[in-house]
Amino acid sequence: MSTTKLDDILPKPASVLDKARNLLKDFKAWVNLDINNLTAGQQLAVKYFCVAIILFVAQILFGLLSALQFIYPGFLYGILDFNVNRMVHINAMIVWMLYGFIGSIYWLIEDESGTDIVGLKWANIAFWVLTGAVTLVVLVYLFVQTGPGKDSSLWLINEGREYIEAPRWADLGITAVMLVFSYNVVATFSKGKWSGIAGVLTLDLIALVGLYLAGMFYMTNITHDQYWWWWVIHLWVEATWEVLVGVIMAWSLIKLLGARRKIVQTWLYIEVALMFGSGILGLGHHYFWIGMPEYWLSVGGFFSALEPIPLVAMVVHAIYDSGVHAFKTVNHPALAWVIAHAFGNFFGAGVWGFMHTLPQINLYTHGTQWSASHGHLSFFGAYATINIAFFYLAIQHWRGGVWMAAGTPNAWRWKWALGLLNAGVVGMTVALLIAGYEQSFIERAVEGSTWSGYFAAQNQPSFQWAMKWRMIFGWVTTAGLGVLVWDLLTIGKSEERKAEKIVIH
Amino acid sequence: MIEPVALKDFFITFFSSALIILAGASYALLFAWSRINAHAGIKIAALASYTVLFVSVLELTQAAQFQGYWLIISVAMVIGYFFAPIGIWHLCVKTHGHHDDCQ
Repeated sequence: MSTTKLDDILPKPASVLDKARNLLKDFKAWVNLDINNLTAGQQLAVKYFCVAIILFVAQILFGLLSALQFIYPGFLYGILDFNVNRMVHINAMIVWMLYGFIGSIYWLIEDESGTDIVGLKWANIAFWVLTGAVTLVVLVYLFVQTGPGKDSSLWLINEGREYIEAPRWADLGITAVMLVFSYNVVATFSKGKWSGIAGVLTLDLIALVGLYLAGMFYMTNITHDQYWWWWVIHLWVEATWEVLVGVIMAWSLIKLLGARRKIVQTWLYIEVALMFGSGILGLGHHYFWIGMPEYWLSVGGFFSALEPIPLVAMVVHAIYDSGVHAFKTVNHPALAWVIAHAFGNFFGAGVWGFMHTLPQINLYTHGTQWSASHGHLSFFGAYATINIAFFYLAIQHWRGGVWMAAGTPNAWRWKWALGLLNAGVVGMTVALLIAGYEQSFIERAVEGSTWSGYFAAQNQPSFQWAMKWRMIFGWVTTAGLGVLVWDLLTIGKSEERKAEKIVIH
Repeated sequence: MIEPVALKDFFITFFSSALIILAGASYALLFAWSRINAHAGIKIAALASYTVLFVSVLELTQAAQFQGYWLIISVAMVIGYFFAPIGIWHLCVKTHGHHDDCQ
């Protein structure tokens, strides 16, 4: 075939680009969102939200692939192995939540400080650097995961630590981006006005950046290595992220329900004290079986028993507020997701956590599907829900502050998204709980944690059925995500009524 | 030193642990509600929840074979879950201050 003929068949790059441009233009026209409704900081925030949702979709897709490989172990073997799918599934989750948190902070910072973001240009550069780095890391995860284990592999391919596998160059990039983000936050509050929320946020960002460094150096002793690695995993998730969520919730409650600032801030301090009081040494429950001194069994057990206290405080305060105040909200979907957050956090972190955290039982359960069951419900309940609530706050504003309370057109969409996502995650959690119970029973207790015990547990009908049910509920979750994305793109599109003004209580 | 849970006590360990948190939250909820609505039935329900919590702690203590200083956890849970909602309620009242008239 001559070159001329080939040119006729293949589309010209310019025409492909034109088509893509037209498609994007049509999509924008269909979504019909007006960027002029947003401040510069909010425009940056929605970029973070968009990437967060793309990564949320990636998390679910790679979760489905991993779930399928539990049922058909040969599926995509040698092409897209289970370890890669699981790694992308978990990393995508961590990163989309982080994108959601950063976006939420950029969203609220101008309102909270009363001034424009300082260093917005740097913040925009940091966004593109982070997004470029995440894309490259995922591509390397997908295409370059076999080869010699050399020092250069740590720097360029995979750092090897579960959940934070990103190569070291990306670690440095993430740290740099987080430093830019911290600078934006501190400089903006310094230029504008400080508040209790601003103070807690600033201190938390120092911890957020500082703790990440603990996952970036190697020690020759595996126990020492794991000791520091858990600083990132546990303290990020159960301390700094919880505080970030506290900050976002505090600001949201003022905007969503008209809660008084003084009360919200006071409770933010109380919550931080309770979370740090129990959560920091609750770290001990990860030190039970990695070769640490025996006193960690007592420390971890005792402080893990204290960890539900902030949740009890939440219950009491919710009843107090519902009895004393007559709150009214202008954004029903956001409030529904905040309520889902309260329940999800309570059950996922509180009930599911305490069921298997004491060392006397954790000896059998750690590292089984029990942990996965706890992980699914607690990450969804504590973090995914609050990010989704914020997406609804953002979209309402992006549409020019439209009505999103009772009588919103097509309200069934957000209700179905809420129902399907929650039912899907709860279903997966229960299926994994059954699998974990069976594993801890057969593999650990009866067979004594042997290699043959591992296979005996994997071949039990209850385990295999649990994996099938997890797959089914994975599809329910996927359907929920589909409806959620559809709803976020369309909610309020044809609405002409404006939202009521929030009354401060 | 810990004594691992016996095989026959697996279920009761998981179940009683879950029940501690659920009954603790239920007691907290009903206690707070009883402060807003002075109905005797709510107070009784709150005490019933606390009784479930108390029995669950006893069950967990036995099933998880708590001995020596491990018993501190059981005592802390029995006392802590009883007083935490009361303390938190007082914090709610104080932090909401003079702006609220329903206290």
